[in-house]
This record gives sequence, C-alpha cells and structure tokens, in this order.
Amino acid sequence: MSIGKYIKDVFSGLWSLVVGLKRTLYYFTHHKEIITEQYPETKPVLPERFKGEVVMPHDEKNEHRCTGCTACELACPNGTIKVITKFDITPEGKKKKAIDKLVYRLELCTMCNLCIEACPSDAIKMAQTFEHSVYDRSQLNKVLNNPGSKIMDGVE
Amino acid sequence: MWSFSHIADLLHEWLSKTFNPTFTLIIEMVLAGVAVIGLFAALGLVLVIMERKVSAWIQIRLGPNRVGPKGMFQSLADTLKLLVKEGMTPDGADKFLFNLAPFIAMIVAMLLMAPIAFANNFQFWDMNIGVLYISAISSISVISILMAGWASNNKYSLMGAMRSGAQIVSYELSAGLSVLSVVVLTGSLSLNDIIHSQENGWWIFKGHLPIWISFITFIIAVTAETNRAPFDLAEAESELTAGFHTEYSGMKFALFFLAEYVNVFIVCAIGATLFLGGWMPFHIGHLQAFNHVMDYIPSSVWFFGKTFFLIFVIMWFRWTFPRLRIDQLLNLEWKYLLPISMINLLLVTLMAIMGWHF
Amino acid sequence: MNGSTIIFYLLAALTIVCGVLSVSTRQIFRAAIYLIFSLIGIAGIYFWLDYQFIAAVQVVVYVGGIVVLIIFSIFLTQQAGELLPKQKIGRKIFSVLAVFCGFALTMVQVYQHAFYENDGEAVKPVVANIGKQMLSTKQGGYALPFEVVSILLLAALVGCIVIAISKKEETA
Repeated sequence: MSIGKYIKDVFSGLWSLVVGLKRTLYYFTHHKEIITEQYPETKPVLPERFKGEVVMPHDEKNEHRCTGCTACELACPNGTIKVITKFDITPEGKKKKAIDKLVYRLELCTMCNLCIEACPSDAIKMAQTFEHSVYDRSQLNKVLNNPGSKIMDGVE
Repeated sequence: MWSFSHIADLLHEWLSKTFNPTFTLIIEMVLAGVAVIGLFAALGLVLVIMERKVSAWIQIRLGPNRVGPKGMFQSLADTLKLLVKEGMTPDGADKFLFNLAPFIAMIVAMLLMAPIAFANNFQFWDMNIGVLYISAISSISVISILMAGWASNNKYSLMGAMRSGAQIVSYELSAGLSVLSVVVLTGSLSLNDIIHSQENGWWIFKGHLPIWISFITFIIAVTAETNRAPFDLAEAESELTAGFHTEYSGMKFALFFLAEYVNVFIVCAIGATLFLGGWMPFHIGHLQAFNHVMDYIPSSVWFFGKTFFLIFVIMWFRWTFPRLRIDQLLNLEWKYLLPISMINLLLVTLMAIMGWHF
Repeated sequence: MNGSTIIFYLLAALTIVCGVLSVSTRQIFRAAIYLIFSLIGIAGIYFWLDYQFIAAVQVVVYVGGIVVLIIFSIFLTQQAGELLPKQKIGRKIFSVLAVFCGFALTMVQVYQHAFYENDGEAVKPVVANIGKQMLSTKQGGYALPFEVVSILLLAALVGCIVIAISKKEETA
C-alpha cells in the first residue's frame, strides 16, 4: 500500500463519516421531520390505496348493488367470502336471485383486492378501517349486507 | 459568589471548628463519597434520558414522551423498575466473581472521579500524576468485564468479554498517545496544571493541526474504550444478545449500565479538561468586554457544558455509524490510529521544542 | 495506632491474603483475580507512601498489562470452570519451604541494612524531573536500566514477530 493511497484512505474515510454526521445532525435539529404518529391521540394519515376490510356500501334507502352472482366468492383465493342466495318474487311474479347474506370472514382475508376487481356491479369495496381487534374471533365473521336491505333498482 | 470551592471552604471551616481534625477528615471523606454517589445517580438519570432523546431525534422519532413533562421522568421510572427486579444468579456461574464484577466496574468509575476538576479550585485530589493515574485506573475496568464474562458461564458472555478485552487493550494505546501530546505541550501530568496552562486559550485553539488530530484520535479511542457504538462489539445485541452482561438482571445489571454512562461522562470530562480547557471560560484575544462577560459564567457551568457537549458528540456517533466488524476494529487501531498518533506525537514534540504553539 | 497505620495494615492484609489465596485456589481464573487484588494492594501501599508515580505505573504495567494477558491466555487455553488437580503433599511442603526461605532472606536483608536518614531535598515527582532522572547518566540516573529494559523489550518484540511470521515454504 503506497503512502499516497493511505492518506487518501484516511481522508475519504473521515469525509464519509462527516457526511453521515451532517445528515443525522440535520434530523436532530429539524423536529418537523419526525415521522412518528402518536396513534391513539392523532389518527394516522392513511395512503389512498390502504386496504383494511371489505365493505358493501348502502345508500340512504338501505339498498346495495349486489346481485348475488358469487363472482367474488369464486375470485377469492382463500375462501373468505361466502354468498348465501335466496329467491325473491318480483312484482311480475317471477323468481329473481338475490342475496340473503354475504358472509365475510376477516380473519382469512389477505386484502388482495381480487373480489373487488371481480365484482361486475361494484357492490363491494375496500374500506380504510384498521382497528379490527375483538375479544372473540367469531366476531370477525361479518355479514356485509344490512338486515332488510335489498338490491338497488336498475342493477342487474 | 456562591461557587463550589467557596461552599467547600465554608464547610471545611465549620467542620474544623466543631470537630477535632481526625473526625473532620472522616466526615469530609464520607461527604465526598456521598457527593460522588449522588453525582452518579444524577448522571445516570440525566444521561439515560439524554441518550434516548438524542437517539430518537436523530432517528426522526419522538422518544419517551409519556412519563412526566415530555417524558423527562422516564429514566426515574426505569430506575424504580430495575430496583424492584429480582437479581438472578445463574446456576453454573462462579457466584463470588459474578456478584463482584459489577461492583468492580462501579469502584473503578468512582476512583476515576478523584482527579477531575469540576470547577475552579474544586477537585477531590490534585495529584501531580493525574493523567497517568486516569490511564492506570481505567485499565482496571477491563478486569470487571472479563470477570463478568467468565463468571456468567455463558458462551455469549465469554465472547463479549474476549472482544471487549482485545478492544480496550488495543485502544488504550492510541488514547494514551493522544493524551500524551497535551502532556508534552504542558510539561505536566497534573490536571490542574493542564487547565491553568490553557488560561490564554484552549489547547484546541493553541495547538494547531496536530492537536486537532490528537483530539479526533482521543474521541475515537475513548468511544472504543467505553464500549459504545460503533465499537460496541462487546455487547453486540444482534450477535451476542448482550455480551458480557447477558446473565445480569436487576440491580447488578443497573450497576453495569450506570458504570457505562459514568465512564462516558468521565472520558468526556477528561477530554474537556485536556483539549477544551476544563473550567476555563472562553476568551478571545484582547476583547476585554467579551472576556469579562465570559468570566461571569460560573466555572462549573463551563466544565459541565463542555463535558456534555462531548457526551453529545459521542452519542451522535453512536446513532450515526454502523457497528464495525472485529477485524475492521483492530485494523482501524493498529493500521491507522496508532501510526498516525505516533507521528502526531513526534510533530507535537517538535512543536513544543520550537515553541510554535501560541 | 493512628488512622494511617490502620490503613497500612488493611492494605498489607489485602495483599497477603489475596496472595495466599491466589496460590491456594484450585480455580485458575480466580487465581488470576486474586493476583490482581494482591497487586492492587501493593499499588495501594505505594499510594500510602505517597509514591504516586510508582503506584500508577504498578497498576498500568501489572494490573492493566500483565494480568490481562494472563487472563487472556487462560481464556484461550484452559477448560472453563474445571478445578485444577490437587497438588502432592511433597510439592506443597517444598513450596512452603521455598516461600519461607525467600521471606527469611528478605527479612534478614531488611534487618541488617542500615537505613540512613536522607537529609537531601526530595526531588519533586513532577514529569520533568522524572524524565530528567530517567535519561540522566550521572549518579542515581536511570539511563542504563532504561536502555537494558528497552533491549529486553526489543528482543521480545523480535521474538514475537519470528514466531508469528508465516513460513511460506512449509505452507506451500
């Protein structure tokens, strides 16, 4: 090892240390850079694509857009969704397929978004809730359609 | 003026009026011991919360913020927790040495306090070999680590102790050489003389480049000697769980923990004394007005200010740099620090002989 | 008996007890630790005599240097925690006799030596004086022992390098 390289090594090593120290001093003195969110007091700012659970939106007349086609059930890779269908009688006297219950088991869900993409009528979507802890795991089996809800007009 | 030396003088006068000389000496010794223990406790509390806050802010976090205002009582709560925890001794351990090791660490830290000048005319023992005494006593501290590592009967502890021993023994050399450069310029080993030699300017300003080099070497070497990151191979969490104090719990662990922080304080105090003028206020040439303003700040404030600045620098190192491997560690010492500080010592000697410093 | 004497006897007791323990214990690591305490006791006696420089050098060289090296060699060679074998009674008697002879020799020397009062001014133990004394070639100077010791150290260093150097023809 030549003496020139030795001296160069020492100085480049020291310089790299100084660069690191400058960075940390910047963070030390700039408290507005702090990224910690004090969660229970301030709710976190979630990114747009954060997925927390599957929900079925209802409008003010307690109507949803689900036709009971079971596309979501088929698309789900781990059997999270179970669609239980029934047959409604339309005013014309015809039988029409509708959902009785859309059972969603949160404990199995991986938030992969495949069910939402599979749904032809945009009946379900991903919500941004994340505080899912419960005392008993049976509470994680959710029925997504509200009791007494029915399908929105014009959705086939 | 209520300075430390004034209070000490008053106390001494009152004691010698009330008791006979032997009793006065004994009471003063006890008082000094209590003062040192009190200082240790205070340092432990302050330095732990300081380390946690500094680390948090450097890593863009908040740090402890629940106990007390802004989390300032966090270390008090931690101390309480450690006090009530059970102190376990593992079954296969050498019980006597296992229980002795943390006390050795503490006693060494206490002995190191003796020659440090905390304020103008306020020092436990102004011995004429202060610097040599410090390097002598601090070489005992490795014994407590080796003892703890061996007595724990645990392979992680033993590995940590071995690493720490190799590290301390090798870094003592460059720390000693960088301290010697100040001794060469001053011509005295007494800390009091060294401080008084900096009346017209601290060595870091008077000593040109060579003193800067030895200051940097000193800081690196003492960081390694106190086993702190980036040289914390002795307790490398990711490899050795906690190194030599893996098996320690409760109060015995707290003593090791406290000894680490007290050692950091001591080496920083020594660094401040040697290079930054100890309790000497900051003076600029012939600016009389400015110098008078600086003189109004008490000498103890100057001492603790400088010491805590150096402590901050060492904490700053810890939270910036990644840990070195053992071969890198020994390369740094034997291939870089030691040759550089030897050549630097020659330069300083030349400077002292020719009188090139101010 | 004043406080100073009490402190002397405490230090002497620490030195002797730890010295005896370090040769009588059967755990090799403990022997090293007792040796440290014995050496620290001697350093304490130097401090008690106000020979601060000698005391600090005692701690640096023996405690910080030699015993740490001894501990390292124990770590690297000995089996952890195993007791050393018991010594034969003949050996024990022989070592006690050897210790007694050494002690007797020292004591005879001490009692026969005529200690004379030194009326000269004591040299102040500041660094400049220590350094001058170390390099002085006059009466009472230490230049010759200093050089002899440095030759010894040089020989040790060269020996280390010779042992540690890798022999190329053997490895190839």
